[in-house]
This record gives sequence, structure tokens and C-alpha cells, in this order.
Amino acid sequence: MSAIATETTKAAESTRTVHFRIKRCDGPGKPSRWEVFDVPVPAHANVISCLQWIAANPTTADGKATTPVVWESSCLEEVCGACTMVINGKVRQSCSCLMDEYAPNDGDTITLEPMSKFPVIRDLWVDRSRMFDALKRVRAWVPIDGTYSLGPGPMEGPKESETRYKLSECMTCGCCLEACPQYHLETDEAAWATSFIGAAPISQARLFNEHETGAVLKADRLEALMGPGGINDCGNAQNCVQVCPKEIPLTESIATIGRAATFEAFRRFFQSR
Amino acid sequence: MAEQQGFMERHHFLLRRLHSLSGIVPIGVFLIVHLTTNASVIWGAANGRAAPYAADAAGRGVATFQHEVNFINNLPLLLLIEIFGLWLPIAFHVILGIVYAMTGSKNTQTYAYTGNKRYLLQRLSGYVGVLFIFYHVASLRWGWTFLVPNGTEWSHYFAASTLAAALKGEAGMWTTPGVIVAIFYFIGVSLLVYHFANGLWTAAITWGITVSEAAQKRWGYVCTAVGVVLMGTAWTALGGFLFAVDYDQARAVEEQIFIEHHGEEGLQKFMDNPVDEQAAATIHEAEPGDG
Repeated sequence: MSAIATETTKAAESTRTVHFRIKRCDGPGKPSRWEVFDVPVPAHANVISCLQWIAANPTTADGKATTPVVWESSCLEEVCGACTMVINGKVRQSCSCLMDEYAPNDGDTITLEPMSKFPVIRDLWVDRSRMFDALKRVRAWVPIDGTYSLGPGPMEGPKESETRYKLSECMTCGCCLEACPQYHLETDEAAWATSFIGAAPISQARLFNEHETGAVLKADRLEALMGPGGINDCGNAQNCVQVCPKEIPLTESIATIGRAATFEAFRRFFQSR
Repeated sequence: MAEQQGFMERHHFLLRRLHSLSGIVPIGVFLIVHLTTNASVIWGAANGRAAPYAADAAGRGVATFQHEVNFINNLPLLLLIEIFGLWLPIAFHVILGIVYAMTGSKNTQTYAYTGNKRYLLQRLSGYVGVLFIFYHVASLRWGWTFLVPNGTEWSHYFAASTLAAALKGEAGMWTTPGVIVAIFYFIGVSLLVYHFANGLWTAAITWGITVSEAAQKRWGYVCTAVGVVLMGTAWTALGGFLFAVDYDQARAVEEQIFIEHHGEEGLQKFMDNPVDEQAAATIHEAEPGDG
């Protein structure tokens, strides 16, 4: 009993105050504003646990009552990508963002912003449906639906499996797009088809091109990626691979699709009817 | 929707890939040839065949450079080579390059990775490079002498001396505008060499030649080596014209070579009307055996 009490006292003692500067927005198209919250941060806290405290205590540092800050999160273990936001200017998942690392001292400030390449729904919550649209554009699936059984799938070597496993770890979080100088916010859905599609869907196209059954849609995927906004709009800044939380070899995927597109172009010119 | 697409959209892939290719062939190849030719003003010192024209290294360099220039001017179909091998590809690369660069943005402050800085510099070097090429061609080739320090007009027949004068000032003496022009040349040519070397690196990714990160790294070393050697060549050439060429001596060597090709009379005619270079060419045609 006394041991627990001591622990509790210690935790209370190690609590420090961190200033949270948060870029807020009440809804789509509404203007943004900054609000500061002074959050008592215990040891081992992460950004999400601090956001939970703010949700329970929606009062700004200068004592004004405000609405709880809205954010999106789900898995809390850097697997779903939902809680991606811009922290201290750089994109990352907020669940894996540890306060002891980002704001180790009493009085430190941490800045939270929504991703800038997606329309804001509210506060830190953005609409990433353009990424889903991109996955549909590159047909990021294995076509097995039909009226009869296709039987067992093809065998796959361990090496290919290993390569594709890494690619399959993409959680469509949007980090690679946020950091890409060629990827832009498109509020008009009509522009999605011609504005640069970004690294994640290109890598997914490679993932399914390299699947034995998925490869039947290879020409369709390349068709989508060889047009405006496709593979050629990459500027090779290679920020994507630097910021990818899953360390997916995105630049390798881009070059792989670039090579496939080269061969496809030659095939079309010299071979197709 | 597909019918409503414009020319750029319909031929997106082809235009993008031609843009990439044109930067290497013919523009990159031309850059290598051009810089190597210009650097002959220095490496020509080692050219024994230039010895009859001058006793010292600087004179041999001038003579070698003049021979290179004459060789280029005697190429068959030169005008066609220029139009289809240079002017059109460069115009194509520049116009599309600007269109494509406009689709980019700058975020090097937040994401200060080497690759991102390389990306930014590729675009900046493109913009500055276009200005430099425009100045270079307009002032030396199109004869827009109002852009040249002291209004020197560059001549194919007195290549080294007039170039030194066009860079530094009249008769190869340093003037203040000359210093500015020389610095602009240094910056312009350095950025263009970077643009080529980095473009060589990214083109390999674009075409899918270097796929793995390791391959991209290896090819990066090759491109760096190409860039370093070419940068050295460019600086050698520029340094040669700025510091090694003595105007009067170069002029004497070039006159000697001119007389060899066109005779004393040809030189006299040319000196009487130096602006009309076409006249000198006519002399060359009319009196091939003379001199």
C-alpha cells in the first residue's frame, strides 16, 4: 500500500507543464487560429494522452473556456496512420510521439498542426479520402472476385514475400505526401486525377504488380500512373522515404514503376496493335 | 473527359521522358563537348602541334582553341546540327522545364534532407542557367554587344582574344562590368554543370535504370565524378580566358592562323569590314588554295 503511494507521489512530482500550441479550425473552409494549452505532463506520456487531457480540460492557457481539440486516432501503436499530424513542423504519428523526447523539460512548448496537404475537417483531423481515391486509381488490389472458384493462389518465394511484406506495411498515413514538394493540397476533387498522386499509391501499385495474381492488372495500373499526375511528376526530392514511419523503400518503388513504365511505353510503341 | 484533355495531358508521358532524355542527349553531350573545347585554351598548352604558332604555353593554348573553333565551323551541316541538335532541344528542355518546375514547391526549411536540397537546387540552377545561357548566346553569338563589357564583339576568327575581351573588358583589361560578367559566368556555368550531373542521376531513376537504393547510391558516385570532372573543365576554361590569355599575343596567334586559311589579302579584307563575318566565309570559299 505504502509502496503504491510512493509511486504515485513520484509520478506527481515528475509531472511538468508543457505548452501545447495547437492550430485549430472549426470546420471545412473556416479560418484557422492558434490556441495554447498548459498541460501537466507525467513521465512516459505521448501526444495522444496529452490531447486526451485537453479534451477533458478544454481551457486555454490564458484561462478561456474553449471547445475540446478534435483529432483522429485508432490503434495507438503506429499501425493505422490515423493520428498523423504535423508536430513541431514535421509530419509524423502523434501516438508514437513521446513527450519525454519532444518536451523533456518543464515549460517546453510543442506545436501541433493538421497535415497541410489534406482538407481539414476540424482541428487536427483531416480528410484523407484522396488517398483512398488514389488506391482505386492504381487498382491496389488482387482481382479474385468472380462467378467460380479460381483455385489456390500461386506459390511465392520467401524473398519476394519479404519484399512485398515491407511494401504491404503502408498504412496510408500520408507522411510521404505531406513531405513531398510535388504533392499539393487539392480541395477540388476534379484535380485529383491530374495532380501528383504521390509515393504511397505508386508503392502500392508496385506491391500488387509484383503479386502473381495481382499482376493481371499491371497494364491498367501503369496506364493510370503514366498519365498526368503519375510517376513522371515525381521530382526525386526523396523526402518520402525519409519521413516514412514504416521505412518502406518508397524511392525504390518509384524507380521500379518508372522502369515498368519505360518498358510499357516501348511495348505500346513497338508491339501493341 | 479523355477527349477534352489538352496536348500536354495527352502526351504527358512522352513529353516528360523526352524532357529527361533531351537533357542528356543532345544537351548534356553538347555541354561536355563545349566545355572541353573551351578548356583547350589551357590544355592546348600540351598540344605539340600548336608549337609553330607560339613559343609559350598560353600561345599554344590560344592556337589550339582557335583550331577547335575552326574545326566546329567547318563541320558539315553545321546549321542543321545547331538547329536540331541545339536550339530546338534547348528550347524544348527550357520551356517544359519551367512548366514542370512550376508544379513543385519548396519545403527545405522543414525537411532539410540532402535530397530535398538537391531537388531545390536542380530547379534554381535551371532558372539561373536559362538566364545565363540567354546572356551567353545573346552577347557572344547574336552580337548583342550592348550587353558586353565595353561592347566587345566576339569573333569566330579571333576566338580567344575577343572572348577574353568580352568577359573582362576591352582588349582583355579588367573592367568593373567585366568583373560582374566574369562572376556571372562562374556562377552560371557551375550551376549548369550541377544541373547536368544531378539530372544524370535523377534520369536514371526516372527511366528505372537505377532501382535499388544501393544502385542509386552507386550511380550517384558516378554522377558526382562526372560533375567534378566537368566542373574542373568548366573552371579551367573560364580561368583560362580570364587569367591566361594575353590579348595582344592571342590576337597575333589568331591572325597567323587566319592568314594561313585566308591569306594576307583575306585578313586585310576582314579587318576592313570585321563585322561582316559572312564576308570572311566568302573569301574562304573563293580562294581555297590561297595561303
